[in-house]
Amino acid sequence: MSCSPFDLRDYLLDELSQPNRRQVENHINTCSGCREELGRLQTTQAALRSVADEEIPQRIAFVSDKVFAPSPWRRAAQAFWNSSARLGFVSAAMLSCALVVTALYRPAPAPAGPAPVSQVEKARMEKLEAEFDSRVQAAVAKAVAESEVRQTGKTAQLIQALEKRNEMDRRGLLVAFTENLDVARKQRNLYMHAVNELSAGREGDQQ
Amino acid sequence: MIFRAVEDADLISSARRGDVEAYNLLISRWEKRVYNYLLRLVGNREDALDLSQDVFLKAYQNLRKLEEPGRFAPWLFRIAHNEAYSMFRKRRPEAETEAEPEATEAEISFGGSGVFPIELSLAVATALDRLGADQREAVVLKIYQGFKFEEMAEILDCPVSTVKSRLYTALDVLKNELAPIKTRGVS
Repeated sequence: MSCSPFDLRDYLLDELSQPNRRQVENHINTCSGCREELGRLQTTQAALRSVADEEIPQRIAFVSDKVFAPSPWRRAAQAFWNSSARLGFVSAAMLSCALVVTALYRPAPAPAGPAPVSQVEKARMEKLEAEFDSRVQAAVAKAVAESEVRQTGKTAQLIQALEKRNEMDRRGLLVAFTENLDVARKQRNLYMHAVNELSAGREGDQQ
Repeated sequence: MIFRAVEDADLISSARRGDVEAYNLLISRWEKRVYNYLLRLVGNREDALDLSQDVFLKAYQNLRKLEEPGRFAPWLFRIAHNEAYSMFRKRRPEAETEAEPEATEAEISFGGSGVFPIELSLAVATALDRLGADQREAVVLKIYQGFKFEEMAEILDCPVSTVKSRLYTALDVLKNELAPIKTRGVS
């Protein structure tokens, strides 16, 4: 029978508070009987724990099916959020927000009639506008001229290339015609030669 | 352990919202412990695996009923305990309420035999076999699963005093069986 202030099995099984554990430890230091009993308990526990846990032979995992599926409302919400409609919804929401913000913070319309502008300012603005117009016109004219030059050059190149091609085609045709003509002349000569021989043969027979 | 409890609670709340992947992650954290608990209870790997799957399915279906996500572990093992004893009752309807498991620890060849002396493994199995089913389950929950007395009482649905009584009796039996062998230095 143990004379420990607290049950040694509770000490072994880690069911004592820290102060109570210290009391047991102090007692064990002075009591050989309890020390031996605790030793036997610890040996028993170590023997039990020497038999290790097994690995599970097959992992357990679930897939989504009716059993695990969330409520219909949540499914619909998830389906919507995962669909392409989400983009449209977000766009519409942003547009709505922009409209509301614009409506709330848009500045008040300007009062009727033009604002008074000084003559000097007006003249300066006119001068600036005229200068701007003239610069724009000059830039446009320059660009058009450059473009025309480029187009003219390209056209000349095209015409030259076409003429060159026509010349080559013409020469090719001429060579072909000349060759055909030679062939025809040779055929005519052969024909004439055969006719002459035939005529000479008939005259010999008559004689 | 605190961080783990917090993370488990996060996974539980995600799973409650229908996040199956969160629940799968929760399973991966607990499946080995649940499987080994059931294996030591029923003594058969196939049954232990089938029961483990049933336990996690039932747990998912009842996740909303879990009032304190921080007490997920005892709640889960309570389901495992019920599933195991439900199987015992189905297989042996004529038996008494406190049914003995069909197989015993002696029939299980634990993977630790390659690492630890086979004689010690057999001695442990034999010693555990000498215990009643309730005492053995108390030992499994305390020594192998590390639950506190209050948690064990919740799992076993009995008073803490009953848990302590079962465990102390079991420890006395096991000490008489195992301490001499271990002290001899099995090798």
